[in-house]
Amino acid sequence: MSKLNRKIDLQDCFIKINENNSVIQNESNRLDCKILEENGTININIEVLESDIAPRINLKVLRDSYINLSIEITLLEKAKLEILDESEYSKGSEIKINSKLEQNSSFELYRLNRFNQSTENKYYHKCELSKNCVFKDFNFTNGSKEMFNETIVSLAEERAEYVGSGVVITNSTNCNNILKINHIAPSAISDCSFKAVSRGDASVAFNGKIFVDENCSNTVSNQISKGLIMNNESRIDLIPKLEINNDDVVCSHGAASGKPDENVLFYLTSRGISREDAEKIYIQGFLSEFINKIDNVQMQAKAKQFISQNS
Amino acid sequence: MLEIQKLSVSVEENRILDNLDLSIGSGEVHAIMGPNGSGKSTIAHTLAGNPNYNVDSGKALFNGNDLFELDPSERSLEGLFLAFQYPIELPGVSNASYLKQILNVHRKHDGKDPIDAAEFLKILKEKSNRLNIPMEMHSRFVNTGFSGGEKKKNEVLQMDFLNPSLVIMDETDSGLDVDALRQTSEAVNQLRSNDRSFVIITHYLRLLEYIEPDYVHVFQDGKIVESGDKKLAHKIDKEGYAA
Repeated sequence: MSKLNRKIDLQDCFIKINENNSVIQNESNRLDCKILEENGTININIEVLESDIAPRINLKVLRDSYINLSIEITLLEKAKLEILDESEYSKGSEIKINSKLEQNSSFELYRLNRFNQSTENKYYHKCELSKNCVFKDFNFTNGSKEMFNETIVSLAEERAEYVGSGVVITNSTNCNNILKINHIAPSAISDCSFKAVSRGDASVAFNGKIFVDENCSNTVSNQISKGLIMNNESRIDLIPKLEINNDDVVCSHGAASGKPDENVLFYLTSRGISREDAEKIYIQGFLSEFINKIDNVQMQAKAKQFISQNS
Repeated sequence: MLEIQKLSVSVEENRILDNLDLSIGSGEVHAIMGPNGSGKSTIAHTLAGNPNYNVDSGKALFNGNDLFELDPSERSLEGLFLAFQYPIELPGVSNASYLKQILNVHRKHDGKDPIDAAEFLKILKEKSNRLNIPMEMHSRFVNTGFSGGEKKKNEVLQMDFLNPSLVIMDETDSGLDVDALRQTSEAVNQLRSNDRSFVIITHYLRLLEYIEPDYVHVFQDGKIVESGDKKLAHKIDKEGYAA
């Protein structure tokens, strides 16, 4: 690749959904992005070409009304893409994403959403991975009054890999999270983690299912979900499920939830830290292992900041 | 500095301390010895405000203030420090970040600005060197994966950072090898001053040979059954508690 092309590939694409219009500022010659708004739905089509360096799409929704967003993403062979969504969706949202990863492509999705607590938000993502594809999916949210998150990943060809981490830190939400990983080709890998912190009168649920089809030998799949319940009024339900139809697999799942360890909180308060701040430090410690799963340094810093601001 | 009057404490309805009286003046070092279960750690945790310990009756005046009216963080900010027998692990929080946070909480209480990164690093290096703590340890999570000796040194390091007026050391010598015990004791001795008092809880004479106490008290069944000077510690070392 020439020096010039490398420079161009480093440029980002900005999608701003403003009060009255939607604007794309695309500086990358490696992706094509179009927006069409009709019947109250904003449709975004993204196609990404082969590249050595992943172009990044920064999505920012600034509209002060309910948002219906439909995103179609296609990564062509050997394409790379990063998407960062830090929108606040001030009046609620329904987002549907369909993504298709062709051979040897890789996709990183970072959703760091601080929702208005009184809104309703729904999120659906269907992703299909072809041979040797990698999808890294990081979702950090403070929840909202009603929240529904559903991600369905299909590891459709061999050696596809999914790494997913979800974090919910919430005070007042009815938050239902569904994650389905379908292993329908051999030698694929999935690694899913979910952590929730409940405060106030929050109710958080996680339903995680791993399905391994009968032809999927050499599958590796792990799923872990953990909940930290900060008071007596909130609750967390973690429901991990495995359906495995092949013996040649390494699969694990685990779920645990509980209250903070009072001995740790006493240790912190005995050093002069207030109870409130001790709980924040505890939450940050609880969630920090997710930060370490993010190898993109810039995104790692953003996730760290998100956790710190919402603990 | 500390005046404990007729203090009775229970844990899950079991009386551990029974009408305990103890007076500690400024700059004094008091050693507390006693068999297992005699209430040594209970006095430490009660004074620090551990909610698992219920004060049934009695008072503890710390610089004239009723200690039991303060929550654990307020006690720390007023100058009380407990070096834990079993320091707590805090995964996910780096030791450096934790030390900076606790230092800044105390600086804020004293009306000072938060310490800047360069000054903090300088102080951290200086204090760590004194305890022979490698700087690498501070990038690890608080007490997580630390050896017993590293945990105890980390307690003394925190003590050094927070500049307390009353230090309670709950079996700080347990888990320390000979060199670590000497280094830790030397660091403690450097922190001794006329306006800082120590309560040293220990089973062994060895620590008291490094940190010489002004008074030695023997606990039994939640009470002080004998008090004296350092000769009492030698006597216990030779004869045991049963004598």
